[in-house]
Amino acid sequence: MSKRISLLHQEGVLRSYFPDSSISRTGEQSLVWEGDLQPTPLSCPYRVKLVYTRTEGMGIYVMSPKLILAEGATTLPHVYNSADQKLCLYYPTDREWHPGLYMAKTIIPWASEWLYYYELWLLTRGRWLGGGIEHDQPQKKDNENNDLQFLNEHKNG
Amino acid sequence: MKMNELQRKQISSVLSELGEGLDITSAEYQKAIDSYQAVGKWLAAEGSTLSPYAPEILPQGSFLLGTMTRPVHDEDDLDIDLVCRFSGVRAGWTQYNLKQEVGTRLKAHGMYAEKLRPEGRRNWTLGYSEGRRFHMDILPAVIGQGFFTLLEKRMSDEDLQIAQDMAIRITDTRHLQYKTGTDVLSWPSSNMFGFAAWFKYRSQVTMLRKALVLNEAIRPVPRMEKNKLPLQRVVQILKRHRDIMFNGDEHKPISIIITTLAAWAYNGEDDVLAALTNVVGKMERYVERKYDAIRQSYLYWIGNPVNPAENFADKWSLCTEKEKNFWKWLNQVKKDVALIAEQPDLFQLREAIEKPFGEDLVQSVFNNIGQQTRELRESGGLFMAGGSGLLGSIGRTQVPNHNYFGRHE
Repeated sequence: MSKRISLLHQEGVLRSYFPDSSISRTGEQSLVWEGDLQPTPLSCPYRVKLVYTRTEGMGIYVMSPKLILAEGATTLPHVYNSADQKLCLYYPTDREWHPGLYMAKTIIPWASEWLYYYELWLLTRGRWLGGGIEHDQPQKKDNENNDLQFLNEHKNG
Repeated sequence: MKMNELQRKQISSVLSELGEGLDITSAEYQKAIDSYQAVGKWLAAEGSTLSPYAPEILPQGSFLLGTMTRPVHDEDDLDIDLVCRFSGVRAGWTQYNLKQEVGTRLKAHGMYAEKLRPEGRRNWTLGYSEGRRFHMDILPAVIGQGFFTLLEKRMSDEDLQIAQDMAIRITDTRHLQYKTGTDVLSWPSSNMFGFAAWFKYRSQVTMLRKALVLNEAIRPVPRMEKNKLPLQRVVQILKRHRDIMFNGDEHKPISIIITTLAAWAYNGEDDVLAALTNVVGKMERYVERKYDAIRQSYLYWIGNPVNPAENFADKWSLCTEKEKNFWKWLNQVKKDVALIAEQPDLFQLREAIEKPFGEDLVQSVFNNIGQQTRELRESGGLFMAGGSGLLGSIGRTQVPNHNYFGRHE
């Protein structure tokens, strides 16, 4: 298992990548990052918020604008919740993200990429081209990676 | 790079993708090549009266130029233009004899007899309807003695003469001596290979074009190029714009006029948007007005660069609708390109390209863009810039692989 990166370091790297973003950290307990992501030059900037706590794990939200839906769609793709625009960026049981990885090099690029595919989802009238796994078709994965502590800590995808 | 420069680049890459969406697929491409090579073998096979004259089938037209454009409706034929080149003809043969010998030989093959369509003025046409429909127009032609020596020479704008010398002799049922002239030099001439050499020369991505060896322009099997040159993409885009605007109207501007004017106007721009903007702005400069002493009036002249006596716009004076349609098209394409160039976001860009180029094509363009980005990420080639979060093939941090999780609620 990779060594946990301290939130102090996470904050430092996030600030270095996004000097204009706002970050608040409570010791090693929690970290909140908020900044603008613009996936392509012809995209608007999206206000994105990352909320991480040791107890609740990771959550990433699009704060603004209000995300519109593709023609014929009733919900957003790959979100936990359309109403609060909480994104699903990785497959939790595979530990694609864990506290041994820098958020600035994983979660944030994935969020920008989510926004990129969200725009293409609108442009193609409802095709998700970013790949991934549907909640509704859970894949039975080998459990050896599922360190229980990690799962509890990062139960959000 | 500044943001508006990046935006221009992005619009340009969408247009480049639009051009790619107009290409025929590699399977269709291979099918066409296999089919015409098989016909060539049949014409040249032992026992054929044509075999002493070394018939060889070669691509010409848009298939050779790399500017072929899918039809707007998938059920319409792909149109492959070919030359059947002969090294000479039997003493005493007229145009009629050569044309008939080719026809007879095709009819002697069961499958080709079935596919053969009614005789054309200059061509024989074979229609294929299994799977993707396409037809091949085969133009019988005779080359002069010096032809292959000529191919080793170089051409440039300063020396179009060499390309002009590539002209070959064809048959034409409407020619006065179609059934009487036995001197091949009195047959009608056509210079599709010289034109291809000139187009290839003009398509170089630089303002200082290099002289080009003619041989490079006419390959028996042109390479299937995925990354085409900006001029090729521009011509494809202009032709599609024309196809959508005129929707089968027989008086639409013809491809050879669009191709010639675009190639003259192209100035070596290295991206599709810059090339397209320049071309639509400048192409009318190459439509000349010439005084016709016989009619005592001015007429429009779009010269064949490799055959100065030929006017591609010769029909305009006979049918003013053709002339009007050309100007109407040019005005519209100028407006549409200007609109595309100024769009500030992808959604407005989609609106601006859907109307002139068709909804299905544009849908497939964005689909392909998404798939390519995903493949780029999967192969480790996608990066994110710091500060903005912009994605691209360069950036501060590599985007690692991952799986978007989650249901559509």
